[in-house]
Amino acid sequence: MLSDSLSLNLVELGHFAAHLALAAALLSGLLPLAARWLRAPWLVNLSGNAAIAVFVLTTLGGLTLIHAFVTSNFSVLYVAQNSNLALPMFYKVTALWGGHEGSLYLWVWILALYTVVVAWYGRSRYPQHLPVILAVQGWLMVGFFGLILFLSNPFERLFPAPVDGNDLNPLLQDPGMVFHPPMLYLGYVGFSVPFAFAITALLTRWRSELWIGLIRRWALIAWGFLTAGIMLGGWWAYYELGWGGYWAWDPVENASFMPWLLGTALIHSITVQDRRRMLHTWNIFLVISTFSLSLLGTFLVRSGVLSSVHAFAIDPGRGLYILAFMTIVLGISFGIFLAKGRYQQAQEAITSFLSRESLFVWNNVLFTVACASVLLGTLYPLVLDALTGARITVAAPYFNLVMVPIFLMLLLLMGIGPLVPWRKANPERLKRRLLLPAVAGVIAAVLLPFVFGKVYWTGPVAVGLITFVLGTLMTDLSRAVRQRRAQLNEGIGRALLKTVLGNRRHYGGMVVHFGVVVITVGLVGSGLFRSEISVSMAPGDVVEIGGERLRFEGVRRFRRANYETTEGRMTLLNSGRVVTPERRRYPRQEAPMTEVGIDSTPLRDVYVVLIEPPAGDTKNIPAGTPSATEGGKWAIQVYVNPLVQFIWFGGVIILSGLGLSLSGRRKRAREAKALAATTSVPAK
Amino acid sequence: MSRYGLLLASILFAAPVFSAPVSEDPLERRMLDIAKDMRCAVCQNQPVSESNADLARDVRRIIREQLEAGKSREEIIAYFVERYGDFVLLKPRYEGAGLVVWILPISFILILGVSAFIFIRRRLRAQLPPPPELSEEDAARVRAARQQEAP
Repeated sequence: MLSDSLSLNLVELGHFAAHLALAAALLSGLLPLAARWLRAPWLVNLSGNAAIAVFVLTTLGGLTLIHAFVTSNFSVLYVAQNSNLALPMFYKVTALWGGHEGSLYLWVWILALYTVVVAWYGRSRYPQHLPVILAVQGWLMVGFFGLILFLSNPFERLFPAPVDGNDLNPLLQDPGMVFHPPMLYLGYVGFSVPFAFAITALLTRWRSELWIGLIRRWALIAWGFLTAGIMLGGWWAYYELGWGGYWAWDPVENASFMPWLLGTALIHSITVQDRRRMLHTWNIFLVISTFSLSLLGTFLVRSGVLSSVHAFAIDPGRGLYILAFMTIVLGISFGIFLAKGRYQQAQEAITSFLSRESLFVWNNVLFTVACASVLLGTLYPLVLDALTGARITVAAPYFNLVMVPIFLMLLLLMGIGPLVPWRKANPERLKRRLLLPAVAGVIAAVLLPFVFGKVYWTGPVAVGLITFVLGTLMTDLSRAVRQRRAQLNEGIGRALLKTVLGNRRHYGGMVVHFGVVVITVGLVGSGLFRSEISVSMAPGDVVEIGGERLRFEGVRRFRRANYETTEGRMTLLNSGRVVTPERRRYPRQEAPMTEVGIDSTPLRDVYVVLIEPPAGDTKNIPAGTPSATEGGKWAIQVYVNPLVQFIWFGGVIILSGLGLSLSGRRKRAREAKALAATTSVPAK
Repeated sequence: MSRYGLLLASILFAAPVFSAPVSEDPLERRMLDIAKDMRCAVCQNQPVSESNADLARDVRRIIREQLEAGKSREEIIAYFVERYGDFVLLKPRYEGAGLVVWILPISFILILGVSAFIFIRRRLRAQLPPPPELSEEDAARVRAARQQEAP
């Protein structure tokens, strides 16, 4: 009983800590204002301490929640709803973000973490602006804590406590889904740092040369986490949902894709500002919009306005708070932007249409249009329904139609852009450099239908562009290596290494581009060349699809820790390997869950789903008995997905390229330091 | 719109971009080509072609029967829209409320494209303001900072 009352008190302690965290966040939001109103400038020195206090208190609250999960303290409503005694320990801990309340808590916890890192990192680098930055983040935390503590409280108690809890949604009992939300949130929340910098810059007329390098890093880090989160989400959908695909243009997927698209525009146009001192205003707009979309993404998923696979928490009662919070954040930040956005003029002109900076502008046009179109397709049906009651559907066929051409144009730009120098390109030289990749691309596009048969127009175009981009990437690298070898007489390996490591920002970016190409290969392969068949099979039957022959061996039944399973066996006759798709029954769930059986090679996945047992299937067969003798036919779905593994490889390549890019030091740190002497743009 | 514009539009808007599930049977293929653009009303964001729900199977059977009866794609789609509304179409129609999602992306690209063009043109001719003069005080601070850094 003692331990019971102890864990009871721990939860109350955590609950109290969360309230204190709200107070500390409010304090850090008020400090710069108070310092001005009370004419007590020393007050701002408390900002850093307030940030630390918020983080420590939030962590305390989070740890007591995790403790409640680990000790199965079902007197906490949220624990009772999302965990039970039989749940494996790993999922008990991570069930913290398995539901609505806990995932909002995770969001604010990550925000507190970022804030404390910014405070620590900035105390010597940008001390004058730090209190304002921390105040912006403080207000964001106030908004989230308000929602958590008053409307979606994970500390809420349940009396009397049930003997056992409900269950974590079985779909979430998967490593992909365990790491997907934290990664996504690290991305979403990461964009709050550039956001806070941008608002601060507007309010204090902070010279853009001084903050652009700082937000570049934060934006890249946030972008990397967001990329990882989206990739994990796709990977999870592919392995867990059993429909053979990884991306469905589901509103919830779009919710994470929108900030990614605008974030990608941002990390490109930041470079223009950093190198050529223009686009300040546009970048501030992008930063604010990207973070707004991150907020929108969180709330679309978490407010239950979308009825889809991901919206596990459905409670429209919170909708009003969320709508009000979004309106306030967007209203204030865009209001400040409109009032003060043009505080600094561009300091350089564009010399030519054929210049890196001009191509970056076109990159931004395309990414922005892509993002706006996804936003339109996602929100329009909701708005239309709310306003007129008319219900229409905007789904995958629409998004593919609109997005694929934009994506192809971006591929083309991706091939040309890195070969075009800043300021002004020599058209003759550029033509010479692009000629070989372009010819290779055209040949590849023309050959494709001859080799693989009739295919939709996107296939040859995409394959041609893939070849073209690979060609220009090689041209870019080989030219630099050749020059280096000619000058320094180095061996090829050493020259290659030195070239890449010598300009990590550039080559990191090129590695990311290479990763995008690899993903595109996977998208083309699995999108255009996938084959699929639904069959009824009795044990011993053989099915042929996409050059593969599979024999159904029958099913076995097992009882595992927290579910029962029926495991099918399919032998791939070409290789002799076996895949084992399952149908699982979790005690607290009505519908059975399917687990996909996948045999992966780099060139193709064979993907098998047990759809339905034979009619009149007897349930009382003892566990472990081979039931190949059972009559009746199983409904089975088999997909052959070519090149799907390229998508996941490509994701890993993108993240390594990002790491390479981030490991580069800023060349112009000295210059910035000298500039730091004058920090704000004088008002006119 | 020019001939090429029409051609481009017809390619962009008529060609299916990602493939329907492949099947050997031509009738089955035509059925799936229709089913992939229809929403399975009881599923969560799944087309009729990919769902194993009973309803989706019924819809597939009805499409197949109507194809066998010689009906065209348009007629079959009209049959379902009449009964269940525009909601069943995964791709909105090019008319009425659905028109918005087709027109706006095109206007986005036109508006942003033209703005970007004008922006670059303006910056090409830009007379840049001379860099702002440092105040005596600031200049001194810069000198101090540089000196501190000098080896």
